Amino acid sequence: MISTVASQQLLSLRRQRVFLAALGLFVAMTAAAGVLGWSSHNTIVRVYDQAVKLLASQGKPAPANPFLLKPELSLLSNMIVYIPLLGALLALLLGHLSVADDESTGLGRLIFSRRISRTGYAVGKIAAAATSLALILLAALAVSLVSLVVVNQTVPTLPVVTRLGLFYGLSWLYLMVFALVGMGMALVNRRRSLGLLGAMGVWLVITFAIPQFTSGLRPTASLNPIVDPVGTSQRFFQITAVARPISIAEQYKAVSGQILATAPPEPLTQTLLRVVPIAAVAAAFAAAVIVLVRRHDFSRSSNGE
Amino acid sequence: MANDKRHRILAIARHEYRAAVRSRILEVLLVILIVATAASVIIASAEYASRLADYQAYKAAAEANGIAQIAPSPLAPLSLLRGAFEYIEIIGGVIAITLGYLTVSRERVNRTLPLIMSRPVTSGELASGSLLGALAVITTLVAATTAVAVVSVGLVGHDWINLGQVGKLLLAFIAAIIYMAVFYGVGAYTAASSRNTTNGLMVALGLWLVVVLILPQIGDTLDADNQLPGGLFSALGLGHDGEVQILTHFATYETIRGSIEAASFAKHFERFAFAMTDVKERFRTLSLPDLFLQVRFSIAWILIYAAALPFAVRHAFREQPTIPQGETS
Repeated sequence: MISTVASQQLLSLRRQRVFLAALGLFVAMTAAAGVLGWSSHNTIVRVYDQAVKLLASQGKPAPANPFLLKPELSLLSNMIVYIPLLGALLALLLGHLSVADDESTGLGRLIFSRRISRTGYAVGKIAAAATSLALILLAALAVSLVSLVVVNQTVPTLPVVTRLGLFYGLSWLYLMVFALVGMGMALVNRRRSLGLLGAMGVWLVITFAIPQFTSGLRPTASLNPIVDPVGTSQRFFQITAVARPISIAEQYKAVSGQILATAPPEPLTQTLLRVVPIAAVAAAFAAAVIVLVRRHDFSRSSNGE
Repeated sequence: MANDKRHRILAIARHEYRAAVRSRILEVLLVILIVATAASVIIASAEYASRLADYQAYKAAAEANGIAQIAPSPLAPLSLLRGAFEYIEIIGGVIAITLGYLTVSRERVNRTLPLIMSRPVTSGELASGSLLGALAVITTLVAATTAVAVVSVGLVGHDWINLGQVGKLLLAFIAAIIYMAVFYGVGAYTAASSRNTTNGLMVALGLWLVVVLILPQIGDTLDADNQLPGGLFSALGLGHDGEVQILTHFATYETIRGSIEAASFAKHFERFAFAMTDVKERFRTLSLPDLFLQVRFSIAWILIYAAALPFAVRHAFREQPTIPQGETS
C-alpha cells in the first residue's frame, strides 16, 4: 500500500515534469556554488603568483601558501545558504503538490472510496517526498564532487566524501521539514493558494523571523553562511537567546559549518545536539501530517483556487 | 471605444483584487509581511529608544549647564525601517512571484480562462487588467507594512518621523511597489509560458535566487581580499600598497565583478531604499537632489525594469494557450 502510493506520487511528479524542474534547479544551484568556488580558487592562485613576484622584487621571501588557510570544502559554503532558501521552497512545493493535486483532481475522493488505510496513504506520500528529495540531493552531491575534482584538481579523499555525504544527509533532513510543512498546510487549507502561501509563511518564520528574534539576525544577515548572533547585552536578546537551540535554520547552518569545516570547530557532542531539534521538528511534522490525513474530509475535494 | 477598453481593463483589475480578497490571499500575505516587519522594526526600535533617551539626557544636561553648542542627534528614525525594506527585498520578491503565478494558475485551475477569452476581451486587456489589480494588491501590502513599521518606530522607539522624512519614505515606498510588481511580472510570465504552472513557479523562484542572492553575493564573494577569513592580502603579508599594486593586474576582473553585481535588480532597489531611509550614514546629511545623484544608476535600472514590465506581462498573456493544456491541477 505504502509503496503503491509512493510510486504513484513519484510517477505523477515525473510526468508533470515537476521532478525534472526541481532536479534541474538544484543541479544549477549546486553548479553555481561550484563556479563561485572555482572563481575564488582561481583568484587566490593569481593573487598569490603576483604576490610572490612582488615580494621577490623587494627581496622578501615568498609568503605561505594561502590554500593551507582555506578549508577544502569551503567552495561549497554557499550551499549552506542556497538550501534553506531555494531548496526549502522547492521542498515545500513538492510537499504541497503531493497533497493538493489529489484534492484538486478528485483523486483523493476516488482513493478513499476503496478500503485503504489512511495512515498507509500518508506514509506513502511522505515516502515519495523523501525519495524525490533524496534523489535530487544525490544529484547535487555528484555535482559537488565534480566541482571539487575540477577546482582542487585531485580526487576527494574518503573523509572529504564522507563530510559531503553527511552535509547532504543533514540537508535532506532539513528539507523534509519543509516538504512536510507543504503537505500539512495543503491539508489544513481547503484552497490550494492558501495552502501554498501558508506554507511559505511557515518558511518565512523558520528562515527569517525566528533567527531575528533569537539572534538579532536581520533578513540579509540570514543570507550569510556563517551565523553571527548579536551579543546578549540587550535584555531582549538575553530572554530570546534561550530559544536559540530550537531555531532550526540557525542550527542547520551551524552543523553545516562544522561538517564542511568552514566554521570554528566545536565539540562533537555539541554538534550532535544541534541536529536533535531538526530531527524532532521533522518527526513532529510527519506525525502531524499523518493525523491530518486521518482527519481530512477527502469527499470535499476539487476545491479549486 | 476607448471607454469600453478602459471599462474592461478596470473590470479585470477589480476581479484580480477581489479574487485576492475573497480567497483570503491578501489577508494571509498581510499577516506574513506585517508580522515579519513589525518584529524586525520593534527589535531595532527597542535599542533605539534607549539610545534616544541617552541623547535627550545629554541634551538636557548640556542645556542646564548653559552649553550653547549641542551636538545634533546621530540617530535617524527612518533607518529603523531597514528590516522592513530588507523583508520586501527578500520576501516581497517571493510573495510577488507567487501572486503572478496565482493570477495565471487561478484561471487555469478554475477553468475560467476559456470563459474570459470567449468574451470580447483581448489578451492585452487581460494583461493590463491583471497587472493593475496586482498593483493594487501590492500597494495594499506595502502600504500596510510601511504604516505598521512607522507606527512601531513611533510607539517603541519614541521618535516619530517628520514631514521631510515622509517624502523620502514615500519614494522608497514607490520603489518597493515597482520592485514587487517586477517580480509579479516574472511570476506571471513564467507561469503563463509553462504548460504546467508549477514548473513556471519553480523557474521564477530560481530567477529570484539569482537576482536576490547570487548576483549581489558575487560582488562580495569574488572580491579578491574576501577569499580568506581575515583577508587574503593580510594572509600574504601584504599591506595596502602591495594590495593596490597587485590589484592593477585585476582591472578586467574587477570590472566584470562590478558589472555582475550591477545587474542585480534587488541590489538597485536596496541601494535606493537605503539611501531614502537614512540607512547609510554618509547619505543622511545629503539633500534630496544630491541623494538622487548618488543613486542615479539605481534609479535608471528601476525605471528600465518598470518600463519592461507591461510588455513582459502582455507577451506572456498573449502567448498562453486559451484552453489549458497539460495542467493536472
